[in-house]
Amino acid sequence: MVRFLFSRVISASIVMLGVSCLVFLLIHLIPGDPVEVMLGETARPVDREALRQALGLNQPIHQQWWGYMKGLLHLDLGVSLHSKRPIFDLLKERFPVTFELTFFSLLVAVGLGFPLGVVAAVNKGTPWDYFAIGISILGVSIPIFWLGPLMILLFSYGLGWFPVSGREGIASIFLPAFTLGFAMSAILSRMVRSSLLEILSEDYIRTARAKGIQEWRVIWYHTLRNAMLPVITVLGLQLGALLGGTVIIEWVFSWPGIGQLTIEAIQKRDYPLVQGCVLMISLTYVLVNTGIDFVYGWLDPRIRLSEEG
Amino acid sequence: MEFDEQNLPVPGLAVWKRVSPTQFRFTLKDSIQPFHDGSPFTSGDVKATLESILKPENASPHRGDLISIQKIETPDSRNIDIFLKSPDSFFPDRLRVGILPRKKIEEKHPFHTQPVGNGPFIFLLWPEEGSLKIKRMFDGQIFEFLYVKDHTVRVLKLLKGEIDMLQNDLPPELVSLLAKDQRVRVIKGKGSNFTYLGFNMEDPVVGRLGVRKAIAHALNREDMIRYVLGGAARPASALLPPEHWAGNQNLIFYSYNPVKAKNFLNQEGFDEQRLPKITYKTSSDPFRVRLATIIQRQLEKVGFEVDVRSYDWGTFYGDIKGGRFQMFSLTWVGITTPDIFHMIFHSESVPPNGANRGRFQNAVADQLIVQAQRADTRETQMDLYRHLQEVLLDQLPYIPLWYEDHFFAGNKNLEGYQLAPDGNYDGLSRISLNRKNKQ
Repeated sequence: MVRFLFSRVISASIVMLGVSCLVFLLIHLIPGDPVEVMLGETARPVDREALRQALGLNQPIHQQWWGYMKGLLHLDLGVSLHSKRPIFDLLKERFPVTFELTFFSLLVAVGLGFPLGVVAAVNKGTPWDYFAIGISILGVSIPIFWLGPLMILLFSYGLGWFPVSGREGIASIFLPAFTLGFAMSAILSRMVRSSLLEILSEDYIRTARAKGIQEWRVIWYHTLRNAMLPVITVLGLQLGALLGGTVIIEWVFSWPGIGQLTIEAIQKRDYPLVQGCVLMISLTYVLVNTGIDFVYGWLDPRIRLSEEG
Repeated sequence: MEFDEQNLPVPGLAVWKRVSPTQFRFTLKDSIQPFHDGSPFTSGDVKATLESILKPENASPHRGDLISIQKIETPDSRNIDIFLKSPDSFFPDRLRVGILPRKKIEEKHPFHTQPVGNGPFIFLLWPEEGSLKIKRMFDGQIFEFLYVKDHTVRVLKLLKGEIDMLQNDLPPELVSLLAKDQRVRVIKGKGSNFTYLGFNMEDPVVGRLGVRKAIAHALNREDMIRYVLGGAARPASALLPPEHWAGNQNLIFYSYNPVKAKNFLNQEGFDEQRLPKITYKTSSDPFRVRLATIIQRQLEKVGFEVDVRSYDWGTFYGDIKGGRFQMFSLTWVGITTPDIFHMIFHSESVPPNGANRGRFQNAVADQLIVQAQRADTRETQMDLYRHLQEVLLDQLPYIPLWYEDHFFAGNKNLEGYQLAPDGNYDGLSRISLNRKNKQ
């Protein structure tokens, strides 16, 4: 187990190093000059140069990169070019907000997608199956930038059940979380259905039924756990998609998370802040996938034993 | 300084007189309020603020406006003497910046997160980006600003009563929707935000005057204003609106005339076998892209081949400043003084030295701009700027499109709001809620 943990930490660190270098290079390739954005066109060239020097933007790119990497080693992400606030503080404020949205969206996705998938698999070929398939088709077809305003129109403006936008009170999480989670539930339900159908056709399931075990025990104790491996994989990948989807949802619902912060930073060419945001999102991705690996090991002892040699 | 309806400078915090060609004396008004932190407003605060802006290490975006200042003296607590490096009759026009308390400047107070002033509103809270609270001094009314990015969501918030008002930045169809709703009052007013087509004068196609005149005759601006902008704009003939003190009310724009447009193209050697090709760059804002496709269609009707390309703002702006374009559309916002002509049209103002993005080179325009800046009287300056605008309309480095109107949409119980020509929020100092109607 310790070797398993150690190997995962090493590979995660290598991934993070690669991501930080790639992000640094890519952001500097984007057209646009942060000094121009900050000072505007009335500034004189000498003033622009002075600011470029003050911000270290006149240094050769490799020097800027080395300065950035040294800062990272001290967990210093630098200061936002626009707000002048430490990036670490900005991320500390925004990340929990995005995490909150992602967590509740995941709850919606699992809460909707999982039962739908089980119902569809257990009642294959019946109207229940077609109903579940219909819901999942809707989920993957409707773009969230359209679903969001539609939800607001119906449930907030029409029925008055929830606030239109913003993050105030527990009621304000429902619409954004449902909008984001609904799309993911569609993919999850399809995955659960196909995975369960595969397991349900196995010999040992037929044996369990032949032994007279109740159907719900067959499903719950003998089928689900084995069906979960591919589902967990999809869940991990979809979490990345959720993080990407929060950008749109944060825009529509004025949710003050990392997605909004990232978009604004890109528009303003706030290089250090973009780097910080992307690093944060990458780190989350890496941690989630590392967590998924652990869950694999717990679900399937064969994986754990093979890793331990 | 503040500005009246004609954008003429009027005393704000101080009155002034010109002591010599290079010296102005500003005298603070008796009615001046202390700063919100309780400290008195004196000449020392004005001196400290202006000197802080002029320090290169502070990287102030206002430094360029004040660079002609040589030194500042404060003979007493109410008077400020400003000495300039060279004569400038219209120096007071540049003193638009807010004044900060000297003591707080010396303490390096973080004004960008905790502003301190002496105006009608006091800063309360800025808990996060997208949420700001200020308080009106005379009655304690609190105003909260919320940043709601999505247009539809913003309108729904207003209709549901979660916000009380919004101003500008809505597509015309949503403004029309609000105007029809009984719960909302919509006020419209003339604006001065100037939308235009810009050209690269070094380009072999659009660099030709005949091609630009063909484009001017090919555009049906009235139809675009009526059907796309919902009537919320007025056609423009120049950068400055006619009501501006330096505006020209007598300019006659090119009529919508596709036949004339085709004739101009033929004169430039273009025909059906040899079509003029233009790449038209715009931002990725959906409304601007929509306008671009309409302009594309109008130009194609007279024989142009137009390729519309939209980019994110940073890339688009970078291309425009770098001269990597043939034709683009943009809007100048918040123009108050005619100094802008130097920045946009003088031959020495090509980026990075200014905003002459089209690389416009015209000796007559240069001369008129410099003469106007050095003029001794407002009347002389007026005549020179009017003549300059005639030259610009003839040479078409820009094709003026329109001035967009401003609008305010609010709870119908709100009273007393006045729209400013430049779309600012000064009207909040007078707005009130009629609670009897609300009950």
